[in-house]
Amino acid sequence: MAILDVKGIGKRFGATQVLKNISFSLNEGQALAIIGSSGSGKTTLLRCLNFLETPDAGTISVRDQIIFDAADPATQRESEVRQKRLHFGLVFQGFNLFPQYTALENVTLAGRLREKDRGKWPAIEQQGLELLARMGLADRAKHYPYQLSGGQQQRVAIARALALQPDVLCFDEPTSALDPELTGEVLKVIRSLAEQRTTMIIVTHEMAFARDVADQIIFMDGGLIMEQGDARQVIEHPREERTKQFLARYQEN
Amino acid sequence: MSFQTVTKMLLSSFTLNCQLFFITLILSLPLGLLVAFGSMSRVKPVSLLTRFYVYIMRSTPLMLQLAIVYYLPGIVFGPQYNLPKMAAAALAFVLNYAAYFSEIFRGGIQGVPVGQREAGEVLGMTKGQIFFHVTLLQVVKRIVPPIGNEVITLVKDTSLANFIMVKEIIAMAKDFGNRAMIWPLFYAGVFFLVFNGVVTFLLGRMEKKLDYFR
Repeated sequence: MAILDVKGIGKRFGATQVLKNISFSLNEGQALAIIGSSGSGKTTLLRCLNFLETPDAGTISVRDQIIFDAADPATQRESEVRQKRLHFGLVFQGFNLFPQYTALENVTLAGRLREKDRGKWPAIEQQGLELLARMGLADRAKHYPYQLSGGQQQRVAIARALALQPDVLCFDEPTSALDPELTGEVLKVIRSLAEQRTTMIIVTHEMAFARDVADQIIFMDGGLIMEQGDARQVIEHPREERTKQFLARYQEN
Repeated sequence: MSFQTVTKMLLSSFTLNCQLFFITLILSLPLGLLVAFGSMSRVKPVSLLTRFYVYIMRSTPLMLQLAIVYYLPGIVFGPQYNLPKMAAAALAFVLNYAAYFSEIFRGGIQGVPVGQREAGEVLGMTKGQIFFHVTLLQVVKRIVPPIGNEVITLVKDTSLANFIMVKEIIAMAKDFGNRAMIWPLFYAGVFFLVFNGVVTFLLGRMEKKLDYFR
C-alpha cells in the first residue's frame, strides 16, 4: 500500500520552473533515492514535501488522505500545515542542530514543546536517549553540537527527525557537508534504518549507496523526473540517454 | 571647599545620571526590539516608517534631539505643555537609543541562519516557539558585545542632559570650575570610570555565561 502519493507537483521560482509535473508514490517500509545534478530540483521537491516551499500545482497524499492540494487553500493554513508536516521528517544537508542545546535536548525539544503534561517528559527523554543510542551516540547525549564532529552532528539530526515518528523520513544530501572520512558513519546509520524498514526519501550524490540501500530510484533533470524504477536497474541498466550520461560522468570521477 | 563636600555634591548630581541611565536602558531595549520587528515587517508602510524613524534618530545630534523634545511642545502647544527637564531628557534618550538598539537587534535576528528556523518548522514548532526556544538565545549571544558598546556610551551620554539644564554631574563640576576650581571636573571622570567599570564587568559575566555554546 502506498504511504505517500505525490501527483503533478509543480513549482516556479520567478521565471524558472524548478519542478514540472512530479508524480511518484512510495510504499511503506521502502526507501526511495532521488539522484540528479545540482539544480535539477531534488532539494526543492523535498522542501515541498516538508512544507518549506509551497508547490504551485499538484497534490500530496499520505495514507490516502490528501494533506496538500495546491488548488485548495484550506490545506495551506498555518496551523494545519504544522500538524501535517509531522508526517515528514527532514534531515538537512547542513545539520541545522540548535547550538544552545545538548544532543539530547536537540532530540527532545520539539517533543517537549508539544507535550503540555510535564509528567510525560521523562518518557520523551528516555525515547531521546534510546534514539541516540541507536545512532551510536549514547555517550554524546550531554555534548553540545560544537563539541561533536560533523558525522556525529548529522546523526544527532537524524535522531531528532526520528523523535516525532514521521511516516516518511527525508534526507537532503545528508553527507554532502561531510569529509569523506565521516560520510561512512552517517551512511551506515541510514543503511540500518533501511534494514529496519523505515520509509525514506534520500536525495543523494552517493550512487553506490543509492543502489544498495534504496528500493526505488528517481533520476531528475531540469525539474522533471527523467527515469524512475528499481534501484539496481536504474543505476546499472538505465534506459534514458540522459540518465546514462549522468551516471557515466559519475563513473569518471 | 573640602574634598568631602565636593564628593558629596558630585555624587548627588551623579544620581541624576544614574536615573537617566536606568530609565533609558529599561525602556529603550524593549522599544528597540519593537522597532526592529517594525523595520523587518513585510508591511511596507510599517517598515518604511520605522526605518525613517531610525534614520532621523541616528543622523541628528543627540543634543539637538534633547533640545527639540524639551522646547518643541512648549513652542507648538503653549508653555503649559513643556515637559519637566528630566522627563524630556529621558524621553529623548529613550527615543535615540531605541533606534540604535533596534539596528543591533535586527542584525542579530537576521544573523541567525535560516536553517535554524526551518529546522524548527519541520519539527512542527509554532512561530512563537521557534522565536523563544530556538532563535532568541542565539540572538542574545550575538548582540551582547554591540549592545554593551551602546550601554557604555549611554553612561557617558547621560551628561548631555546638561544641555537642557539638568544639573547632572558634569554641569555640577563645571559650576566648580566657574569658582576657579578645576579639579572637580577631572574628579567627575572617576565617577564614570567606576560606573562603567561595573558595567564592563557585568557585560563580561554575561558573555561568559553564554560561552557554553557556539
